Amino acid sequence: MKNKKGHIIFGALIILLVSSCKTVNITHYYHRHQSILDSIELVYTQIYAHKPFSIEFTDRAFDRVSLELATDTLTYIYEFWVGEDRMQDTLRKYGFDPTAIQTLITLMRSVDCTWANNLDYYTEERKHYLTYISLWPRIFNFPFVNKKYYILTYFQQPQYFDSEGNLLVGRKLRRVRKINAEVFRRINDRVCYTLSDKFR
Amino acid sequence: MRPRLLFIFAICFYAAAPARSQESYSTPEEALAWLNTAKLPDTSLYWPNVKNHLFLENLRANVTHPLNMYQGTNTNFCGYAALSYLPLNYDPLQYVRFMLALYTDGQASWHKVKFTPSPEVMLAAGTLHFKGVLDIRPADQMWFLSLADRFRSYLNLFHTRFHTGSEDTFWAACNLGKFNRMIKRMMGYKIKAIGSDLLRPGIRDLYGYLQKAVQTGTTFLYVNNTYLHVKNHNKSRFSFPTHFIVLTDIQKQDDVLTIIYWDYGGRTLRQVTTSFLKKILYGVTYLVKDNDEK
Repeated sequence: MKNKKGHIIFGALIILLVSSCKTVNITHYYHRHQSILDSIELVYTQIYAHKPFSIEFTDRAFDRVSLELATDTLTYIYEFWVGEDRMQDTLRKYGFDPTAIQTLITLMRSVDCTWANNLDYYTEERKHYLTYISLWPRIFNFPFVNKKYYILTYFQQPQYFDSEGNLLVGRKLRRVRKINAEVFRRINDRVCYTLSDKFR
Repeated sequence: MRPRLLFIFAICFYAAAPARSQESYSTPEEALAWLNTAKLPDTSLYWPNVKNHLFLENLRANVTHPLNMYQGTNTNFCGYAALSYLPLNYDPLQYVRFMLALYTDGQASWHKVKFTPSPEVMLAAGTLHFKGVLDIRPADQMWFLSLADRFRSYLNLFHTRFHTGSEDTFWAACNLGKFNRMIKRMMGYKIKAIGSDLLRPGIRDLYGYLQKAVQTGTTFLYVNNTYLHVKNHNKSRFSFPTHFIVLTDIQKQDDVLTIIYWDYGGRTLRQVTTSFLKKILYGVTYLVKDNDEK
């Protein structure tokens, strides 16, 4: 009887430990999936250069996709089932390439990527862009535990970092830069990461 | 082509028309002409971190593209940004005059409301950063900070003075009562409002109500943004309103509502169910007619 109780407590402790684990090595994750992640960034920026948009998976199964299609007058937000005919019609209507979007969706699903967007940021009055990619690996999918997201930012040019690897505003302005209220750390000169409660 | 898609395109064509149902008191051309003749000091004694050229650029951009005004990433300026919809669209000249007076004299009046921003706010304007395009819009920083500094409510009770980063805290928060008060006292409009900060309004025919509101005058919705602009996949979310948006059009097909709203930086079209809109909606404020005092 005593032994049985001990097993239950031990099991509960293990579950608690695993479900509260927040420090999965993102650098490792990035290097393991680098080719796919870099492809997501590449495909996304290519489509975005033609027409601005952002893309989100709204469910855990990565079956529902929400598209924010920006035009001169309005931003249209639509939600579809992956592969739904209605999505192709809509994309064509707004001048998007459905094949390219489908490629992006496939890539995103393969690495549990929940959000891709283009963000502007400013350094000394100059506007710059970065690609913002949020990952929701299944390792974080525990009930009653706050969802955590890996965020990757792809910059267009090499960035500056302090000795601890924190992203800085610039070479002259050596204060830590925040993006979406989060401090980012170095993976390489152009790619940074953070762990966040929000995917955007 | 699906019928719903056709329906949306029909709405978009209709929605491309300029904002209506509100009398304009001045035009963008008048505001720009005033701006072009105004003489500004190179630096303001009162706003040391507001750069002259960015300030003027910002005002011109607001007058020519009022829908592009942006509240800033992660700030609590949404109430003030929503309020800005009125002067920028219906009285840009008054807006420009007010901002220039504030810049040169350190104080200004909007109708009967006098603004004397605190020294902390004056020092902060122009220094807010990591807020997207708000970083390079010092006039918007001045405007938002001055409004937050001038109008207070119970939400701001424990954040009386501005400190670095206060723009993201309850110091800048705006509830429904304060929002309505700002419209009435500053803009002089008569409004109709329903809702509260905690309980949803019991509107039986939501579509009918909102459609009538939009046709009557500029309509503001006080919503729970954790559902409208989802930022995480948590099942449990706060059940209180957090955000103001301007509803510019609403159409219904079956149980699907197609809404077009201004959400700072631009207008958005999306389809929601009536039950979803009821779930996120905590307040509706719309202008009924212009006050005689104007």
